[in-house]
Amino acid sequence: MLINFNLNHKPVSVDAPADITLLALLRDRFKLTGTKEACEVGECGACSVLLDGELVNSCLVAAPSVMGRNVVTIEGIHAEDGGPNDLQRNFIEKGAVQCGFCIPGMVLAGEALLSIKSDPSRLEIREALAGNLCRCTGYMQIVDAIETTAKARAEKHHPEKRED
Amino acid sequence: MANLKYVGHPAQRVDALDKVMGKTKYVGDMSIPGMLYARSLRSELPHARIVKLDVSPALKVPGVVAVVTSDDFMNHSNFGFPISDMYMLAYEKVRYVGEGIASVAAETPEAALEGVKAIICELEPLPAVFDMAHALDPDAPQIGPNRTDGNHPNYIGHYPVYKGNPTEKLQECDVTIEQKYETVMQEHAYLETEGGLAIPTPEGGVVVYLSCQSPFIPRNDLCKVLGLSADRVRVIVPPVGGSFGGKDDLNYQTAGQVAALALKAKRPVRMTFSREESIIASYKRGSMRMNIKLGADQDGTLRACEFRSLYDSGAYSSQSPFTSWRASIHAMGAYRYEDCTVDIDTVYTNTGYAGAYRGFGNTEVCSGIEQAIDEMADALKMDPMDFRLKNCLKVGDVTPHGQLLSESVGLTDCILKVRKMSDWDRKRKEFASQSPSAEKRRGIGVAALFHGTSLGAEGLDEATATIEIHSDNQVTLTSGLTDYGTGARTVYTLIAAEILGIKPERILVHNPDTNTAKDSGPTVASRTTILAGNSVRVAAQNLIQNLDWAAADFLKCDVYQVHRVGEDYIGPSEEPVSWDIIVKHAREMGLVLSAFGRWTAPEIHWDEEKGTGIPYFAYHFGAQVAEVEVDLKTGHTDVVNIWAVHDIGKVIFPQGAYGQLYGGISHGLGYGLYEDLDYQNGYAQSINFDTYLIPTSMDMPEIKGGFVEAAFSAGPFGAKNIAEPSMVPTAPAILNAIANATGRRIRKLPANLERVMLGKELTKKGSPFSCKVALKIT
Repeated sequence: MLINFNLNHKPVSVDAPADITLLALLRDRFKLTGTKEACEVGECGACSVLLDGELVNSCLVAAPSVMGRNVVTIEGIHAEDGGPNDLQRNFIEKGAVQCGFCIPGMVLAGEALLSIKSDPSRLEIREALAGNLCRCTGYMQIVDAIETTAKARAEKHHPEKRED
Repeated sequence: MANLKYVGHPAQRVDALDKVMGKTKYVGDMSIPGMLYARSLRSELPHARIVKLDVSPALKVPGVVAVVTSDDFMNHSNFGFPISDMYMLAYEKVRYVGEGIASVAAETPEAALEGVKAIICELEPLPAVFDMAHALDPDAPQIGPNRTDGNHPNYIGHYPVYKGNPTEKLQECDVTIEQKYETVMQEHAYLETEGGLAIPTPEGGVVVYLSCQSPFIPRNDLCKVLGLSADRVRVIVPPVGGSFGGKDDLNYQTAGQVAALALKAKRPVRMTFSREESIIASYKRGSMRMNIKLGADQDGTLRACEFRSLYDSGAYSSQSPFTSWRASIHAMGAYRYEDCTVDIDTVYTNTGYAGAYRGFGNTEVCSGIEQAIDEMADALKMDPMDFRLKNCLKVGDVTPHGQLLSESVGLTDCILKVRKMSDWDRKRKEFASQSPSAEKRRGIGVAALFHGTSLGAEGLDEATATIEIHSDNQVTLTSGLTDYGTGARTVYTLIAAEILGIKPERILVHNPDTNTAKDSGPTVASRTTILAGNSVRVAAQNLIQNLDWAAADFLKCDVYQVHRVGEDYIGPSEEPVSWDIIVKHAREMGLVLSAFGRWTAPEIHWDEEKGTGIPYFAYHFGAQVAEVEVDLKTGHTDVVNIWAVHDIGKVIFPQGAYGQLYGGISHGLGYGLYEDLDYQNGYAQSINFDTYLIPTSMDMPEIKGGFVEAAFSAGPFGAKNIAEPSMVPTAPAILNAIANATGRRIRKLPANLERVMLGKELTKKGSPFSCKVALKIT
């Protein structure tokens, strides 16, 4: 069947079987391999994408259900110049990346949280990451990266709140 | 070590940018034109004879291009080190559920699976042994290979440490304790499952991109089983999505299967595993049953230790001879004893199989001995910190193995620092006065460790690096050791940048490749920083010497008159000359702009019969404190805080070192509280993350880490190791905290709800159904 949707801010149209997952559609049809396959039962979050701005496990989303909707994958997250955005830079700076397999999902989980909450506590960040497994980092530096980004973004948007 | 510019300073991980952008290509992300997809037929029985194996029906399935079995290899595909008991694909028998029997390559993954289902494979069930205590019964079915030394074929080995006679010494001690401790199997749970991609070469060889730890091992194995010379087999390690000791044997089998299929089909072949296939087929941390006797005097002096244990290697020996040996060396903990003996026996069973996993034997024994140490402190009515401080190893001590510790023993500092950071003394007092009727109770516990650096007395221990300045002045490095997520490539970069006096951005570290790198032994045993790091240091020193000659020539002075400011070279004229100009000048002088660095570890030795010697050339030390809140109504344990202080010699890449520390603690927390890859009659009871639980961001506490830098003189800038030891003391620290909170001790890991609340486990009845289904679905 023909599936029309917005992928990383661009309209796309693809002819695909109706019974495949969004994960398979992204990886096999669009060759967007930043979305990872690691459990296929919705437990690990490695296949996380943003669907209309909400974090979802793409292995649990039927491909046809994205018809007319907005899908953002890790390939759609970057600064205007195509380089890393502030959150991605903070992942690098804080040492949040080890093997890297969970990292696309973690970046998207961070973006999903920051889009609805500008000043999350560390516990709220942990809650937002609870569906994304990481076996390497113990999560500390991932939380650091999201917390640092939240603070910097809040300061950028509300410079008057700055306390010196 | 004055004025280090890069080493020890915050740095950016060299491969992080591609990873945060989603650009990194793991094996499963790679695709080659004409590539076929492979799938293995795997055993559904824990022990069986292969009566009939007919692959011809598979070849009739549309889309199937090639099928291989053990007949397609030399010597039936036999391999394995140190005991060659494995096959690339099963030969005559299968010994565990999930063992590969045949492998199919097809145009699509679906066709490969149809091919697998079409294979006629008749298995005749054989009696099996699942309990390690019965593996050596005279009538136990034979699992291990035939042997001629009179030992039971299910016997892998005996691993002793002998100092004096603790049995006698225990009689003299004021206080003795004796307890049994038990650990269960743990799944590595690397997020990237196993995978390999083989590409046939025009000259009849094969290139394999393999998610693995040590590329030279599969290169050599492939030469052996495919009958190819070393120049025809090339193994490249692409980015690896985590390993933790877990990407050895099974991945070598994967390499063998895709390589044989690619040669047969004359097309590229890729195999990747589903999570279920990964958990069912892969090796685990082995389980251990320990019996520990300790003796001490009333003044708190620890005097004797008698440690006996059985270790279950499952269906294959894999790394268990080495795991068991490392376990024996560390079994008594980081303490002084007048008399101490350790006896570990390792056996085959049909319960999956055990291999390397972070900590490699020490994680297992530390969970026993560090609880026993606490139980002894309790018996002596001594504070566990005071008891450890009184007896722990210091510079000048002789270990129970007979090794004089002459330097780099930072354990006392680690314990003192973690005691202060955790506010131990106040909390210990406060928690002692909790109401006995409170449903939620807090507790705090400590565990200490030592961990031998690198391979130990198992053989030659050396590594080689190469370094080269290319025509565009890009500097490239190779190492035969792999960065499977650890940060090793960043460590090499910082060491080379420090010695060459150039910015780290100028340096590119290649992926390990058997065609361009030098065999440096296996990437295991937390040996990469010290072995590969030292080899990079030597290579960079060999290279910089040539640039120093060129600089002196350019600046018209003696070498000793040249100094560096930033990247620039400055001579007596005080006029800075850029690094690029000096490199160009060196080139014009005809000097070589590449170098080779080999580093061989200090000599050590071990007498396997007498159980004495110098097992490791250096040791990591550390101590961790866990604070828990236990809900006595549900048995739920919340780890509220963890403090960890480790002596790693020297921090080279700070974010990387903390990342290793935090990550190791997360493995240890899972091991302590819920990870249990339980097998019932040979069938894994958890085969995905819905039932095999690993810690989430909500399970992990905020961790406060710290480092002690008791430099090791032969380490690169004094560095030792961190990767494995970071997880070793976490589980016993948590168990000691639970005992502190509840007054009850749980001597079998993990301390799950049932064990905490009821003090026993609930009976589980496993079904082979889920394993069988999972091996035959897309």
